[in-house]
Amino acid sequence: MLKEQPYWNPVLETLAKEKIRDLQFRKFRKIFEWGYEKSKFHRALYEKAGIKPEDIRSFEDLRRIPTVEKSMMRDIQRKDPFPYGDALCVPLDEVVEFRQTSGTTGQPVYQPDTWQDWEWWSECWSYILWAQGYRPSDRVFIPFGYNVFVAFWAGHYAAEKIGAEIVPGGVLDTQARILKIQELQCTAMMATPTYVLGMADTARKMGIDPSSLAVRKITCAGEPGASIPTTKKRMEDAWAAKVYDHAGATEIGAWCFECTAQSGGLHVNEAFFLVEIQDVETGEYIEEPGRRGKMIITALDRQAQPCIRFDSKDIIEWAGEPCPCGRTFRLIKGGVIGRADDITKVKGVLLSPSAIEEVVRGLDGLGNEFEVIVDKDGDIDRITLKVEIIKGREGERKQIEARLKDQLRLKTNLGYILEFHDHGSLPRYDVKARRFKDLRGK
Amino acid sequence: MNTNYDVGAIAAKIESLKKTAMELADLGEDFPALYRNTRRILAAVKMLEINISDVSVTTSS
Repeated sequence: MLKEQPYWNPVLETLAKEKIRDLQFRKFRKIFEWGYEKSKFHRALYEKAGIKPEDIRSFEDLRRIPTVEKSMMRDIQRKDPFPYGDALCVPLDEVVEFRQTSGTTGQPVYQPDTWQDWEWWSECWSYILWAQGYRPSDRVFIPFGYNVFVAFWAGHYAAEKIGAEIVPGGVLDTQARILKIQELQCTAMMATPTYVLGMADTARKMGIDPSSLAVRKITCAGEPGASIPTTKKRMEDAWAAKVYDHAGATEIGAWCFECTAQSGGLHVNEAFFLVEIQDVETGEYIEEPGRRGKMIITALDRQAQPCIRFDSKDIIEWAGEPCPCGRTFRLIKGGVIGRADDITKVKGVLLSPSAIEEVVRGLDGLGNEFEVIVDKDGDIDRITLKVEIIKGREGERKQIEARLKDQLRLKTNLGYILEFHDHGSLPRYDVKARRFKDLRGK
Repeated sequence: MNTNYDVGAIAAKIESLKKTAMELADLGEDFPALYRNTRRILAAVKMLEINISDVSVTTSS
């Protein structure tokens, strides 16, 4: 019976829209009051803006509350109560888990969690895994470093919580991981898109066709690839598995997920998070589908270091249609489209690295890896795209180059210097890839 | 599949579980195995509140 239940929480996941909004508002007021009362950092921020908990009577009031940026968290940390500083809302003795952000955009931010917060993390992930078809009969292989980065830690505990069997792939190298997946007939896996594709390459080099393994579900995180149709297709074809996206962040939590309906969007877990979308140019809040903006997010139940109106810089948009799965949690179309600080102007045109990924991964004859370098030739912006030609397809280089140029022009409105490299010669990444390099400011 | 849940009745049982766990925690002041295990139970009870009790207010209003 339990296995047939499509929802982890059949009450919350099908709650009427107005009831979800009511729940979000009540919970927002609670977490705001918590931050105001317990965190010197948050109190100072709100006092400066002249806002007290009793002033929050509507969603309009809520939008007057100042947002928090990652740089603000960096500034208060490495101070007492060491190392978290003034945003810590519980006695240091109650902190049982330390994690930190990856540092992709600067100095890492530390994240303290109480045991309750840690339970909450795995609860967020339980919604994800159940929606993606994970069940107690699954044997889940988790090939990540189990270190200071949150990555798949909560996925591990959630898989336990839903009753699946975990095979932790910790310090094993990629070949040993593939052999373990084969030996134990693991049915599911969690990894970054880069690593999912890299593992498939390694398996083939070992003489193992990844699609011959028993893995039939893969949950991705850390990069947008699983929501980029061409990258998703490459992963699904390689492994003969369904590939699902989810998005989360160390300082936020796991806030959205794709379900088995694969409707082209990710459900926001609206019972646990309040997501607002703000127009980057005008500051206006966006409720309607089809308009992109940056996400302002609140984790409604996270306590040790609360996440209240956090300016995530993630670019998202609401989807227009409900998901056929029946969940009432709203969908964001195409997942996280990019980051406000990644989407950059090149030759006066807005460029998102994921648009380049979509083109490269959609072209037959090109390998999975690529690198984009933006620099200047005198005063003029210049973009170099390095790609790899698959072994045995080198003779088709001219045709591939012509198709690549056309597709790039069509999808990004920009011209590129194209460099073709031997397959396997561009850098490989085990976790988050850094394929986009903007050297113009250096 | 059953889609009708008596959220209020479930929330009442969660409240009763919480009360018992809190009483146990109070008894564990100098008894680490009792106190720490009960704290873990209370964290799990909080997840039940988030999943069910919190929404019971919304569904009843």
